This record gives sequence, structure tokens and C-alpha cells, in this order.
Amino acid sequence: MGIIRNLGLLFLAFAFAGCNATRVVKPLDKGEKQLAAGFGGPGIIYTGAPIPVPLTSVSYAHGLDTGLTLSAGLHTTSAAFGVIQSDIAVGISAFQSKSEKFGVTVTPAINFLYDFYENNGRTYPQLDALSWWQYGEKDHLLYGGVGTWIELRKRKAHEQVQNNEVLPWITVGHQFNMEKWSYMTEFKYLGFQHETDLSVVDYVSPGGRGTIGFYFGISRSFGK
Amino acid sequence: MKKLIYIPLILLSCSCLRLDSFLFNADPSIESYGLDDYEGTVEIEVGPEYDIADSLIHLISMQSDPSGDNKKIHAVYLGNVANIATDTVILYCHGNRDHLDFYWPRVKLLANVGAKNRYGVLAMDYRGFGLSEGPSTEEGMYADVDACMRWLKLMGLTDERLIIYGFSVGSAPATKLTAEPRTMQPAMLMLEAPFASEEVFVEDASGLSLPGSYFTSLEINNGDLIRKVEEPFFWIHGVDDDYIQIKTHGETVFGNYEGTYSEAHRIEGGNHGDTPYIMGYPEYLTALAKFIERP
Repeated sequence: MGIIRNLGLLFLAFAFAGCNATRVVKPLDKGEKQLAAGFGGPGIIYTGAPIPVPLTSVSYAHGLDTGLTLSAGLHTTSAAFGVIQSDIAVGISAFQSKSEKFGVTVTPAINFLYDFYENNGRTYPQLDALSWWQYGEKDHLLYGGVGTWIELRKRKAHEQVQNNEVLPWITVGHQFNMEKWSYMTEFKYLGFQHETDLSVVDYVSPGGRGTIGFYFGISRSFGK
Repeated sequence: MKKLIYIPLILLSCSCLRLDSFLFNADPSIESYGLDDYEGTVEIEVGPEYDIADSLIHLISMQSDPSGDNKKIHAVYLGNVANIATDTVILYCHGNRDHLDFYWPRVKLLANVGAKNRYGVLAMDYRGFGLSEGPSTEEGMYADVDACMRWLKLMGLTDERLIIYGFSVGSAPATKLTAEPRTMQPAMLMLEAPFASEEVFVEDASGLSLPGSYFTSLEINNGDLIRKVEEPFFWIHGVDDDYIQIKTHGETVFGNYEGTYSEAHRIEGGNHGDTPYIMGYPEYLTALAKFIERP
């Protein structure tokens, strides 16, 4: 089955929601701008070893106001396949402790996908809620939370009923901050309600459900 | 910052990656067909009781799509070629791996349906597989199977004595050429582990209703094409198939069939390639024979 399974691996490897590392952990300061690049995706077993699917994306974020950040991302791997995939998100500070060391960020977002081969478009709303903890002289961030993509379609291919209304995840990550640069490492447990043990892709799937995603990001701030 | 706008434009300009070719895991490196002497990996092993006499094994070649993308393809016929004008023939469309030698035990099994050499069996390597000239394409695959029908017709076969059997990727040409016949109209359709469409692959893996066109330009759509098939339909699928899921692929194809007669064989414990073995070869052959020979 080894060779035959490569079809599935390459065919579908980046289909699992095309997720990326969290765009906005803690909202930027007002006027602050940030350019970021991300790498990683759902974990798959490739030649016996777990690896992240090599999804890439670039994004731009702008602190519109205190506690309010707008971000926009473009998924470059998808673009290489002729699919425009972008996301627009608004990171909102829902809570921040008086010490400013702890906070909660809620991020509604919308994901657009469109291919120029058959003009197929898809839209997936997204909602994230993260709590973060700031520590150290450089204000590094530890964070964790939940999120989900929302499936708007009621029917799948061949008029089959769509039973997956959401594609949720649990996320844990760390952002290492330098003066201008930040480095992010993140894990997600994606689609844990979704059976993947018979999936054509060999996902890293605890208990045959969902997949563990690995993500890495780098960003640079401007106007801080 | 204005330069940022060039990033998506550059990406779009080089956006040509398609995963179509990964449908075909062909091995064109062999110099000849080994058949019984082949020492490489085969999908299933069968015992000597299913061997076919050398005198009834005929390696043939033919031109496929001579007025279009003409390629020389290779095939093997099991049976007496001189009797094709009166025999019933099973046309076997193999899966997406390697070449005919990989599927040779399966081809021999089919030559034992009913009894040894009760039916003639023709199996071909699609373009790009084995000795058949490449590259592999979806349309080329249809043309190659149709070329085999043309050869059979030339040998005297008529529509009512043609049965087409498609395994895995082979379910695509089998379904296509039954639903939308070209040279011949198969009288029966048999599908083992058929896939519904690339869209279902994507949905299975993603959990979302992403279109197949995001990844491939393939237009294989057995799930819808089967609606056009009126001929009797035999479906067999391993319940534990972890490549082409029975629930999302097989059941969809079977459920959408609206023709004259159908039967389903859901094989507990069967994975993608081993269903005949798990079912038991005698039981597998009996099921096929009963379907073909039913009143």
C-alpha cells in the first residue's frame, strides 16, 4: 500500500482546513504594524515519521486601536496550486489584567478560497479565543485556546449530507519576542471530532480522530 | 509596502501545480512482462490451482487513440483468441500502481470465474504503465480501455458478451465507458473498491466541503456517472478500506445506481487491495460467477 498511499498524501495533504499559526495572539499597540510568515500544518506520517504538512503563508497585521488589530493573510502554498486562499481577522482584546501580564483575545475571522480552474469559491467563518500570559523582560508569550472553522454548506459532493458543521481545534503555543522580531511555535489538535483512522491521509491522529498540527512563525514589527 | 502587492501577483503567475499525475503510480521501468515469473511485489498471492496454461496466455499490443494522442499500449488476453467471437469476455481495468505484473494474480483469478477459462479475460496497461507508452492521463486511460474494446470487437466480440471489471482507479474507465459507451456497450459492470470522485477524497481528508478542483484537474466522477448506467451492476468493497472509504466512496456509487439490477458485497475485514483474499478466493469467484450467470 505504500506507493498507492502517496497519492492520498500528495493529493490531500494540505486540505485539512489549511490552518495556519495564530495570526493575533495579543493585539498590537495602536499604529503598530507586523509582517509575518508561517510554516507548518497538520501532522502526517511520512515514511514512518511524523512531519508537518509544509503549508506556508504570509500575513500583515495593523494595530487599529488599543486592543484592536486587523490582520490579513495569504496562503502561499495554496496559491502555488492556483487557489487563492486568504484570511482576514480582527483580534479583539476581550480581557487584560491590570498588570497587563495576562489577557484574553477573541478573533473572529473569515477565510476565502477560490480557484481559477473551475471558479470554485468557498467561505469559512472562523472564531478563535485565546488566553495569553506574558513573561520575562522581552514580554514573551505563552498562550492557549480554542478555535473553529465553520462549515456553511449543508451538502457535500454527490448531494451527500454534510455532518461536519465545524472543524474545531485546541491550540497551545509560545511566542519568543526580540526587539523587532518574534518567533512562534504552536501545536494544534485539529478536528478532534472527525474520524481519520480510515482517511486516505496518514494523519498524526490520537485515537483515530483529528490530527496534531505543528506550526512555526516568524514576524517583524514596525512602528512600535 | 507597496511592493507587497507583487507577492500575490507573482504567486499567481507561477500557479501551475496540479496533482493530477499523482493519480497514476505507474512503473514504466520493466523491459518485459514477467507474469508468473515476476519476482516483484504483487498485490495478492494466489496458489498454483489458479494458474493458466501458457497456451492460453497471449501478450498483445495495439494502438490507442490513433486519430488523437496515439500511443502503443500492451495487454494480455487469457483464453483462446479464436473463440472471442463466441466467448464471454471480462475486460479488467486495474488500479493505479506499477503495471500488469503487479495485478497479474488478480487477472488469473478472473480467468477462474465459473471454472478455469470459463470466460476470456483481457487486461491492459494504461499508457505510462509497464510497457505501454506514456504519459498517463485520465483521457488517455479511457482511450486505452476503449482501444481494448476495439480489439475485442475486431476479434468478433459483441456487446452482450462484454463484462467490464474496474478495480480502484480502474473503476473510472469501467464506469465511464459503461455510462458513456464508445466502441462497445458493456453488458455488465463490476466495480471493486470504486471511488466516487476526487472531491470525496478531499472531503474525507479535510472534513470540509472543499472542491476537488483546488488540487487537481481530474474529472473522474463515478458517483454521478453511475446514474447513467442501466446495465446490471456488481459492487464489492472492503469495509476496512483505508484508501477509498466504503462509506463515503463505495456506498455513494452503489447508492446512486438506478439501473436494472445491482448487488453489493461489503467484505468485513477487507482493506483496499486484499478484499478477494479476505473474502476467500472460492467465495469471491463464486460471487462473480453467480452474478454473471444469474437468470
